[in-house]
Amino acid sequence: MIRQRRRGLGDRDRLGPFGRFYLTVVVGMVLGPFVPLVIGSFAFRWTWPDLLPSRWWWEARATARLPQGWDYVFSPISRVVESTGNTILIAILVTLLCAAISLPAARVLAKERFRGKSFVEFFLLTPLIVPEIAVGLGILVTFIQLGLAGTYWGIILVHLIPTIPYMVRVLTSVFQGLSDDYEEQARVLGASPLRTLWHVTLPMILPGLVAGGLFTFLISSNIFLLTFFIGGGRIETLPTLLFSRVSGGGALDAVAAGVALIVCIPGIVLLVITERFIKEEVFAKGFGG
Amino acid sequence: MAIASPTRNRGHARWATWRRRAYVPVMLAPVVLTLGVLFFGSLLVALLQSFGHAPIYGITEFPTLKHYRSLFALPGFWASVGLTFYYAIVPTIVGTIASLYLALTLRRRFRGRRFVQFVYKLPLMIPYLVGVALTIVLFGNGGIAARTLFALGVIDSTGDFPRLIYSHAGWGVMFVYLWKQIPFTTLILYSVLMGLGKESEEAAVTLGAGRWQTFWHVTLPQIMPGVVSATIIVFAFNFGSFEVPFILGGGFPNTLPVEAWRAFDDADYSKRLRAMAIVMFIGVLSSAVLITYLAAYRRFERLRGRQ
Repeated sequence: MIRQRRRGLGDRDRLGPFGRFYLTVVVGMVLGPFVPLVIGSFAFRWTWPDLLPSRWWWEARATARLPQGWDYVFSPISRVVESTGNTILIAILVTLLCAAISLPAARVLAKERFRGKSFVEFFLLTPLIVPEIAVGLGILVTFIQLGLAGTYWGIILVHLIPTIPYMVRVLTSVFQGLSDDYEEQARVLGASPLRTLWHVTLPMILPGLVAGGLFTFLISSNIFLLTFFIGGGRIETLPTLLFSRVSGGGALDAVAAGVALIVCIPGIVLLVITERFIKEEVFAKGFGG
Repeated sequence: MAIASPTRNRGHARWATWRRRAYVPVMLAPVVLTLGVLFFGSLLVALLQSFGHAPIYGITEFPTLKHYRSLFALPGFWASVGLTFYYAIVPTIVGTIASLYLALTLRRRFRGRRFVQFVYKLPLMIPYLVGVALTIVLFGNGGIAARTLFALGVIDSTGDFPRLIYSHAGWGVMFVYLWKQIPFTTLILYSVLMGLGKESEEAAVTLGAGRWQTFWHVTLPQIMPGVVSATIIVFAFNFGSFEVPFILGGGFPNTLPVEAWRAFDDADYSKRLRAMAIVMFIGVLSSAVLITYLAAYRRFERLRGRQ
């Protein structure tokens, strides 16, 4: 009896053949599609029904009239470099602004009890569950009137909508895990509120702040719809550039494949960073755990 | 906190109480005002315009229902509503089941665990449009899937390959959603599972419960709140998603968000009010579905006796 029970527990923990097959399929589905995308980005001629390109971009380099493949991606006419700059600039400003306005709210939500708290919490969640397009068109009309459409500040402002809910959630859980003792000691020892904030509170929440900031950066750099609406073609970011490359219908050309790969870079970099330095739970803080 | 003596400094005391009272509102103000103005302000603008209040286009017929009426009478409108639900619900259900199994699998012991844990999160980190590009390369008419079938002698020409993208059946659309969202749901469920630990499941096994019994009666009820939050977010996203059905869906009719954009982008400015009506309709439909879903879930939990 006892032996049977033990084996039962052990078996549950080890992965069976079906589970291993499932994981192989998952990994294959995630990574597999990138193989033709990478190959496609190096292709010059890749016609039906060849499984590999019949001519590669570097072979055609000398003969082609216009820059091909990766040459085109990195040339100024493709606007890839410009879009990358825009994406990074906007994401950094969104992250800083988002952190600055989310910090006080997160602190209050974590530490204080007050009337209407659950209402505020619900209020801060609504951007996650109301479709973006419902907000997008209303904002676009307003921003056109205000002259904010097609400007960096217009895009930065709309990016705050989907990022604030995440930032507040992450920072709230950071403050919840923070004891009041150190701040109180600093105050008792005569530090001003500002000094306490700078020398005591901020260093303690820094890891959480960095985690929240990285996600905000990522969310901002991946936003398409709101940038597309407010940017109006005047300001291109990587996602809107990719949109104009893939929305034509038909097959995907080498340049589109190259742009698609470039668009993945921020996400991959961030994935590597978070895997190494940030605990899994931060991702899903507050989603019913 | 320090209590000022009333005899010594009444003004200071009043200042302290005022500060205490103002503390919470002042701290919440930046976030609440930003979201309130941007988010709810724009919803209000869309709402007013959909009822005919648009002085910028010289239209002031507020309040009128004619934009909604013309919308409901539009050919293809209800087909568009159907498509929106179809593209939203199917991937949500399929994705949740696939994610549940993936999350449970990731908890086990196996070789290469770190690698799998890393790789499965990749789609989470990159824009939907990359998923769209991958889908075109794979499932387009001259895509890798078609070429592979040709090489294997299954099909003779691109025409024999089923239309997986640019069609109303929406296989491509749903593939992108699943590709992006299974990692998202899995991550939420996995971290909920990690937070719970395995004690209660082990107790169930020790008491003689089988695999399925443990899953149905112990594991699933515990992670249900995570499942509900994930499905809400995923459904709401799919329901309002624009770029994926715009690129990979069939022509007309397309989903509501795509039709909203087309109406807004039309040279005829008066159609912009119809776009606002569509957008409001999307918001109301999606909220109605989510509220019903949440209410049903609450009822289910109550019936089960968990609060």
